[in-house]
Amino acid sequence: MARRTGKSPVIPRLLAGISAATLLPAVLLLLPLLHVAPNRLVTGVPVAATDALEAWLWPTVALAAIGLGLLAAGRGKAAAGIAGLACLGALALLLAGLGAGAAELIAVKPLATRARLASGAWIGITLLIGALSLAAQRARLPVGVTSAAAVAGLLAFLWNAGSLDALSLAVELRGRSDTLATAIRDHLVLALGALALAACLTGGLALWRRGRGAVELTVNGLQIVPAVALLGGLVAALSALLAAAPSLRGYGLSALGSTPALTGVAAYLLLPLWRGQQAARRAACPGHLDAARALGLTRRQILATIRLPLGAPLLVDGMRVAAVQALGLATLGALVGAGGLGTLVFDGMAQFAPDLILLGALPIIVLSLATEAALGGLEAALRRRWPR
Amino acid sequence: MSRISPALTTGLGPFLLGLALAAASHPTVAALVGSGAASRPLPVSRLAELALHHLTLAAAGLAVVSILGVGLGLFATRTRFASFRGSIDTVVAFAQAVPPVVVVALALPVLGFGGPPTLLALLAYGIMPTLRGTVGALDSVSNEARESAQAIGLTPGQILAYVELPLAAKGLVETLRTALILAVSVTAVGALAGASTLGTPIVAGLQNQNIAAMLQGALATAALAFLGDGLLLAIGGWVQGNRQRTAD
Repeated sequence: MARRTGKSPVIPRLLAGISAATLLPAVLLLLPLLHVAPNRLVTGVPVAATDALEAWLWPTVALAAIGLGLLAAGRGKAAAGIAGLACLGALALLLAGLGAGAAELIAVKPLATRARLASGAWIGITLLIGALSLAAQRARLPVGVTSAAAVAGLLAFLWNAGSLDALSLAVELRGRSDTLATAIRDHLVLALGALALAACLTGGLALWRRGRGAVELTVNGLQIVPAVALLGGLVAALSALLAAAPSLRGYGLSALGSTPALTGVAAYLLLPLWRGQQAARRAACPGHLDAARALGLTRRQILATIRLPLGAPLLVDGMRVAAVQALGLATLGALVGAGGLGTLVFDGMAQFAPDLILLGALPIIVLSLATEAALGGLEAALRRRWPR
Repeated sequence: MSRISPALTTGLGPFLLGLALAAASHPTVAALVGSGAASRPLPVSRLAELALHHLTLAAAGLAVVSILGVGLGLFATRTRFASFRGSIDTVVAFAQAVPPVVVVALALPVLGFGGPPTLLALLAYGIMPTLRGTVGALDSVSNEARESAQAIGLTPGQILAYVELPLAAKGLVETLRTALILAVSVTAVGALAGASTLGTPIVAGLQNQNIAAMLQGALATAALAFLGDGLLLAIGGWVQGNRQRTAD
């Protein structure tokens, strides 16, 4: 990477540029871009770039080579900007070309025929999005927002233009758009509910000053228990409890569904939240607090002017780790019948239908990354607001 | 003898808890809880077989993850590769956004049912935390220690072997503990992809209401995690004790 400041020799940079420029053409030309299968459950036969992209191939490859090459060899904001635009253009051409190619490949086949993105297409898309983010970073733009907006805008445009309709993932999405919306809502409710439950619990535990050691031990120990085992154990324990005291069912308690899922997910969030809280508590050193008391500040003023500014970024950091974990763990909620995006993933696994798995998995990944970026941004903003 | 005992006691708590959980997963104990009609506790032989599979798969994954993760971490901390350091955290954040279930699920169509998707998920999910842990552990070695080693004429390899690795041992053991817990946990998830592990009775039990088997699977999986954790803690304590003895 030619990122060192000062004079770097031209030849190595040129070599880096050339090798980066050949990377994507190699991926696109050597790996299959599409799989065409007689139905949604079989893998089908691979389709190489020349057949999948046809006339779109060379413009895509050329733009991608320019983008990646310029990113590796060039320096400065202007070069990064041009590289970013080239990568975005290449991504647009790749997606539109694949959509068009897929439409052509399945046009003469029976209705159940599916054209599915294959390894080359996924690697190409990932590389281009990665390069786009890197270019945004070099151009001193907010990385997450810029690349997310660019990719989302591009996808929305292609979707509305109908360019992607022939791809299997789009077919699957059209068939299940209602289920997907419900699943996303359930997933968010489960993750947020668990986060709220864990936050309340950590807040309460913090008041129990004497038990700090015991809390620390328990919270760390819970982390060791594998998630599948904790959920299974909770369901078993709840059903045993309900068998012993059936009247509890009247209070809405059940062995399957949201009760074990919420409890199980919340149990894992205790550690990051607890760590964040303890770090925030220790953020104000005794010296600061003594000085504040000597100045005659009241407890409330100390909280508002010293403890909060010093501790808030650390609290948000714990919250960020916990929120990302909550979104991931909520996937397992489907195992105990709590719904969420895991339902789609598990259905896809049961049917061996890759696109259904992806339909469940992609929103989880996008939600996690968005949460990570948003809370990371909030933490950075708090640090800027209250510099140490 | 007095030097060894504190080393072993560090791992004693998790180890005893693990033993207790393992004992609780015995069919006679589990049968007390699952009294429903569909509850059929697994016999000890079947449980032992599943535990052996689980252990083999998790150990294989852990071995690959530790070799690759620690190896890459060693590379990343050499001054020559300093320019890659900034991107590690970004990649870690990205890798953690994909939960292990999803990795297992996505690997399923490519690799088929059973062990391979589980192993792939373990690799994909375990390498980045191990790499970051290794980098963190090696970063905690003070520059003074490195510079004085250089000043007395040690080669880079000797500095790594005699200064950096011993000083970073505690952090490295912590990293391996995290990797081990991940390995046990992801292997349990692998049951969803048809791998025969201790997760299997949990997943099957959820489907056919076999509460006793589900509880047995859960207890045994947790027992395995705690036993492994205790073992690594003891090893870590032993390494620390050894170091102190040589330092004295």
